[in-house]
Amino acid sequence: MNLHRRHVLGMGLAFAARPAFARDRADIARDIVITWHRLVLELVRHTATYSPPVAARAFGYLGVVTHETLAATDPALRSLGGQLNGFTAPAPEAGQIDKSVALHHALSVAVLDLFGNTGPIGQRAHGALSARLGARAEDGLDAGIQSRSAALGRRVAEHVLAWAATDGGAVIENMGFPLTYPAAARPADWLPTSLVRQQQMPLLPDWGKIRPFAMPTGAACAIPAHPAYDPSPGSPFHLAAQEVVEIKANLTEEQKLIARFWSDDPMLTPTPPGHWLSILLDIAERDSLSVERLGSALAKLGAAQADSFIACWEAKYAYNLLRPLTYIRRHIDPDWTPLLNTPPFPEYPSGHSTQSAASAEVLTAIFGEDFAFDDHTHVDEGLPVRSFPSFWAAAEEAALSRLYGGIHFRFGNEAGTEQGRCVGAYAKALRTDA
Amino acid sequence: MRSLAIAAALIAVPALADPVIPEFTNETATAGLSTAYQGDWDYMVGGGVAAFDCSGNGFPDLFLAGGAGPSALYLNRSSEGGRLVFEKTDAITLDAVTGAYPLDIDGDGVTDLVVLRQGANRLLRGLGDCQFEDATEAWGFDGGDAWSTAFSATWETGADWPTLAIGNYIDRNEDAFPWGSCTENWLHRPDGRRFAPPHALTPSHCALSMLFTDWNRSGRPSLRVSNDREYYKGGQEQLWHIDPGQPPRLYTEEEGWQRLRIWGMGIAAADLTGNGLPEFFLTSMADNWLQVLRDPASGRPDYANLAFQAGVTAHRPYTGGDIRPSTAWHPQFADVNNDGRLDLFIAKGNVAEMPDFAADDPNNLLLQTSDGLFIEAGEGAGVASMGIARGAQLVDLNLDGQLDLVVVNRWTEPEIWRQTGAPSGNWLQIRLEQEGANRNAIGAIIEILRDGRLESHEVTSGGGHVSGALGWLHFGLGAAETVDLRVIWPDGAAGAWHDVLANGFLTLRRDAEPEPWWPE
Repeated sequence: MNLHRRHVLGMGLAFAARPAFARDRADIARDIVITWHRLVLELVRHTATYSPPVAARAFGYLGVVTHETLAATDPALRSLGGQLNGFTAPAPEAGQIDKSVALHHALSVAVLDLFGNTGPIGQRAHGALSARLGARAEDGLDAGIQSRSAALGRRVAEHVLAWAATDGGAVIENMGFPLTYPAAARPADWLPTSLVRQQQMPLLPDWGKIRPFAMPTGAACAIPAHPAYDPSPGSPFHLAAQEVVEIKANLTEEQKLIARFWSDDPMLTPTPPGHWLSILLDIAERDSLSVERLGSALAKLGAAQADSFIACWEAKYAYNLLRPLTYIRRHIDPDWTPLLNTPPFPEYPSGHSTQSAASAEVLTAIFGEDFAFDDHTHVDEGLPVRSFPSFWAAAEEAALSRLYGGIHFRFGNEAGTEQGRCVGAYAKALRTDA
Repeated sequence: MRSLAIAAALIAVPALADPVIPEFTNETATAGLSTAYQGDWDYMVGGGVAAFDCSGNGFPDLFLAGGAGPSALYLNRSSEGGRLVFEKTDAITLDAVTGAYPLDIDGDGVTDLVVLRQGANRLLRGLGDCQFEDATEAWGFDGGDAWSTAFSATWETGADWPTLAIGNYIDRNEDAFPWGSCTENWLHRPDGRRFAPPHALTPSHCALSMLFTDWNRSGRPSLRVSNDREYYKGGQEQLWHIDPGQPPRLYTEEEGWQRLRIWGMGIAAADLTGNGLPEFFLTSMADNWLQVLRDPASGRPDYANLAFQAGVTAHRPYTGGDIRPSTAWHPQFADVNNDGRLDLFIAKGNVAEMPDFAADDPNNLLLQTSDGLFIEAGEGAGVASMGIARGAQLVDLNLDGQLDLVVVNRWTEPEIWRQTGAPSGNWLQIRLEQEGANRNAIGAIIEILRDGRLESHEVTSGGGHVSGALGWLHFGLGAAETVDLRVIWPDGAAGAWHDVLANGFLTLRRDAEPEPWWPE
């Protein structure tokens, strides 16, 4: 039995064994938030539309739903209304509320909406989990509190979902791959790198145009131009490609492990933003975070990740740069292959680098500079736990992993990291306390 | 580039006319098949059909899995070249059946049936005249208690009875969190003339197809397993060493096996390149896979995917309207138009209501062209059904030399098509027989020399999507009116070459001249 299964399936037993004292109610509220997000990490893996940008968007809205449900009844918390683009605060609730029940209903509604595309097994799992968590959350509560809390949760979720529906990213067709895309016009332009038919067009070319959460526009964190495309040996571009070749040829087992640990392939893992969400959930469990602190962290991390992919995709399609595989086969080694599968969209900058840096920026602001943690994200897949002394150490390793994997140039990682710092700064400036 | 060199190997057939699109007539309404594959989420995979002659008249009869409903055996009452007519019997009415494969387990010359189920699998001993008895306990077979979804059989060297591999899916009791709950696959080896307790083929990754195949023509078949990445954690496609007297052992990256993670649903194998080694077609969701050995001389199981170059990605409906990706299940290579080139059928259908995947998902009929590539002909041939398909069989049901088609769909009665167009090429149908164990020579290689080109066809039991056949092996011959053929029997002994006439049925036995056979 793996970690996530144990967590989810253990919820009922944990609740049943305890009386519902106030402190336990707070624990239940936190566990409900964590459990719903654990399910979401599975649904991301099993819902084909959930490429990393789409996953990050969903995580962003779920974070807002979580925080706003709490903020609607807790005067110590500040709504994100007026702070996030186009978002207004939900109406507050003055009556007595149980946070567990409100959060359960809010997340149940939001997950069902955001993951409406999941298959019958995902829907079945949602139903089973909803019934199980709902029964535990409501056990022993006054009927009036129950119904008022449930209504609040549903109302906040619907309020946030109505806002989400207007961002330009709500409808994904053909798993995000357009049916047409302009042919490459310059030698530097992106070309398909796989023999998968669906991936002959690049993923989500208009994603940079959707409405950001916290940063003003998709271009707010623009990056400098990459080295000029140049096939000449000794040119900066050629040297960057040569570095990719040399690293691949001399990979250590540790470097291979790092590449695979951060590979975070869509439909096989929770994706790169899911990886950072998993890190946060592990910390919340380990440190028994209050649900309020967890809700705030989820909202800020989600906004940072969602904005990262918007900023990154805006730049990717502005530069439309080819991948190392294309350049190397064209100018260095026609039979070269990278360690990892090359993602089906332009290279510059590295999306994992952008969103890892943005995540590190936000989480460092919340938890501190030298906050050590263990990363269990891929234990289920047979990969080991990795330990990091800080969030930035993890983010820097994530960026480097793309070079080890042979899917990015070093300059793409570095630009992504700088872009992520910028994106994260907007998210960490969000105020969640009154 | 290396992959292009492999692609060139596909272009090995002398240029002939472009493929003739076969003509099929849908006879579902009149053929008499009424068993639908029923059930809720716990029957979302499965849905097989077994084609074999249980009556002894040479015509393939059909056993249809009923899922949560009863299964049924149908007697083939068709006449040679005539309409397809079946008569339902009550010979086998097991419920909870996902699929079945015919096999002469005990070597008595009467075909038995391996029945895969939700719950205990069953071995049904053929008694003749389409009667069966449950021999599960008598043969020492542990049917287990799982959601069985894959099967293959081989006779290991020196064994009187077959080795059976059974693949299992998720734990059906895990309704809230099924992911990562793949249950153990089993290897049932014989112990004399019964079965020993099964050996767990672990790690197991939710197998939906298995195939014993001598992929490197070593004389010792290995076991390919195609797994559904939707539910496994840390899984991948698998190739097992199955060496007599030794525990099963996975091929490793050091041996050349490359990690591949797909929604594996079905396996079809055939030698398309003419190098004597099988290529493998793996069904999945969106793009499907055509695996060709990168370097056959190396002896390493390192495969390139040439689906894109060969035109068999079959990743999306081709009938227009629905642009979402496809969901593919049973694949089968066969020469549907008898032009001497193997074609490819793929059964398609949404899992149930997966919104990211096509709801109107027509079956594919990909015809091989004279340049070795494939073109879609499902709509032109009349088999582009939008039924929610799972298992299938391309088989000559009325013994006229042209392949017919039966497809199992979820919740609705199976569809059946008779090929009714004018003959466009010559053909040959063969059945193998040998004395003693392995009566039908599973694991044999049939070699056909035609127009100066040597074809190699491996006789297997398993693969596809919970569907299989035993009986006449069909070969299209194109314009050839005679061919030379021989059999490499499962023990490696090469039979004599025989010069045979096209358009007939032959029984081939060891050390004997081919024996003609005609439908009565």
